[in-house]
Amino acid sequence: MNPSLWWWALPVLLLPILWHRRKREQDRAGPLATARFLPKSEPLQRRIWRWREPLLLLRRCLLLLALIALLADPVLPWRGATVLVAPGSAPGLVEREARAAGMQEAPRLTLPGRDALAWLHAHEREFQADARLLVVGDVPMPAVLPRFRHEVILRSAPVPAAAPERHVAVFSTRLETWRRLFGALDGLRVVIDARPDARTGLVVWDLPEAPPAGLRAPLWWVTDAGAFPELANAPRLKGMRYADSPRGRLWHNAAWPPSDAEAARTLVADWQRLHHGPMPWTAPAQVLAPDAAAPMRPASGALRAWLALLLVVLFALERMATHVRRR
Amino acid sequence: MLDSRALAAHSTHLGLAVRHVLAGLGHGIHAGRERGAGVEFSEYRAYAPGDEWRRVDWKLLARADRYFVREAERDSHVAAWLVLDASASMLEPSRRIPGLTKLAYAKLLLACVGAIAQRQGDAFGLVVCRGERADVVPALRGPRQLQRVLARLERTEAGGGLPGAELLRASLHFSRTPSFVCVAGDFLDWPSPLSEALVRLRSMRHDVRALCLHTEAEAEGGFDAGLAYRDPEGEGGIVRFGRDLRAGYLGKREAHFEELARQCRRHDLPLVQARIEQAPGAVLHALLHQRGGR
Repeated sequence: MNPSLWWWALPVLLLPILWHRRKREQDRAGPLATARFLPKSEPLQRRIWRWREPLLLLRRCLLLLALIALLADPVLPWRGATVLVAPGSAPGLVEREARAAGMQEAPRLTLPGRDALAWLHAHEREFQADARLLVVGDVPMPAVLPRFRHEVILRSAPVPAAAPERHVAVFSTRLETWRRLFGALDGLRVVIDARPDARTGLVVWDLPEAPPAGLRAPLWWVTDAGAFPELANAPRLKGMRYADSPRGRLWHNAAWPPSDAEAARTLVADWQRLHHGPMPWTAPAQVLAPDAAAPMRPASGALRAWLALLLVVLFALERMATHVRRR
Repeated sequence: MLDSRALAAHSTHLGLAVRHVLAGLGHGIHAGRERGAGVEFSEYRAYAPGDEWRRVDWKLLARADRYFVREAERDSHVAAWLVLDASASMLEPSRRIPGLTKLAYAKLLLACVGAIAQRQGDAFGLVVCRGERADVVPALRGPRQLQRVLARLERTEAGGGLPGAELLRASLHFSRTPSFVCVAGDFLDWPSPLSEALVRLRSMRHDVRALCLHTEAEAEGGFDAGLAYRDPEGEGGIVRFGRDLRAGYLGKREAHFEELARQCRRHDLPLVQARIEQAPGAVLHALLHQRGGR
């Protein structure tokens, strides 16, 4: 459901306005000499267009408005032409591309992550309709050509990425062998942690006894299946058993550590491919023409936190005012 | 010609309105003995505003350079008493003629009766019943008395209810001379101390005439249904008028005034019921020519 439909709930604001109308007895009674021939009647209660407790009414209206706004998740198109800078981009490159695109004056916005196009998809509603956007930096290429409602000038420049770092905990009597295996890898920097922690992505369990109960990691390389009952009937692939356990995914091969370099490279490549995915490819530089039919993504909830805070504050104020009024 | 009802509503000068009503209405209350200047001359007295010009002695004016009026011998012993109900309910306005109230209409008619009595040379007095008071202007003769009575009437404002029985008995204690008592009110309270006083006066052989005033809206149930009303003399309850209540209202009102008329007939008390939207001359005529009028 489109959250903007919540704006149709705005007439709800009329309810407190109506409820807060003042009741007034019809006290204006004209004299009538022959009133004695008419039956007595109760004074009429008429609601008049004057409000009692206008401050409380204001709070209640604001409360409802904040609630509707929170649900509708409004986005204000407050950004104009902007230069979006992927992290790690050289400042000189940014200035050069901005000058080339005639956007020297446009504000620079450093993106939180490398995937500038995904960020732009999420935040496109924050940009004014005629805003030009320049994306500079190492932007991963999406699977399909992205469509935006704004003109997006993509000036990508590959940044030589540092070798990714992987944390490994090794429990083995053949520690040197494992160190050699991890030390001989190209394009991957493996840090062997003495004690496993939250960053540890792989635990090498090369011991016959069972691991401690609290030890968990996304992937375990196990050489002795005796301590892991999950591996008893595990499927086999390329001479290796694999199973999922509460500790994490288990890979078991009794022949590990690999004896030759090719087997070791294959094992590490499989680990990287299956658990970390491929390295993204830098998108080619291009100009994406504005596409009015491009699907508008739901709002990113940029104001949601503020609106929620406002809602809580207004709710507290309303409750306090109501409580005071009752007393 | 200017409408007398409008004059009653808007004129603060009762004398003017009285002259307007009485223009061409030369009927008296009874056959007085006075026949005008030159007949059984009695005395001169100084001219006072309100005296008829034809009674001014022009020869004496030429001699003395002052206005004198010839007073005639008279032997009328009839005193006219004007009794005005000035309770709050008399402020009931006509819903058709703006500014016209029962009180203004009653004042005008009583002033006319007073003027006629003065013309006839009768003594006349005024009793204004208002709240817990009954203000009495003693019965006297002459134009000055008319001025006094008119001034008192003009000053009168309605308010409160009617005085109690004791006060009325004391105020309406007339001598044994035959009196003409003209009571103007709305008679919404009946029986009441006032009604008892009237019956008592009638039983003393005085000529008592009751003028009961209504408004057109009262008689036809033509009030604005959108407003709330209260009894000006009641305890302050709110009443409402609507089409559904009209029949009940008219029924109760009719029953009340039928009972009033029945009681008046029983006590031989002539009653004239009039709407304040009627021409004052016609009502005055009806009042003075009721059975018993001469």
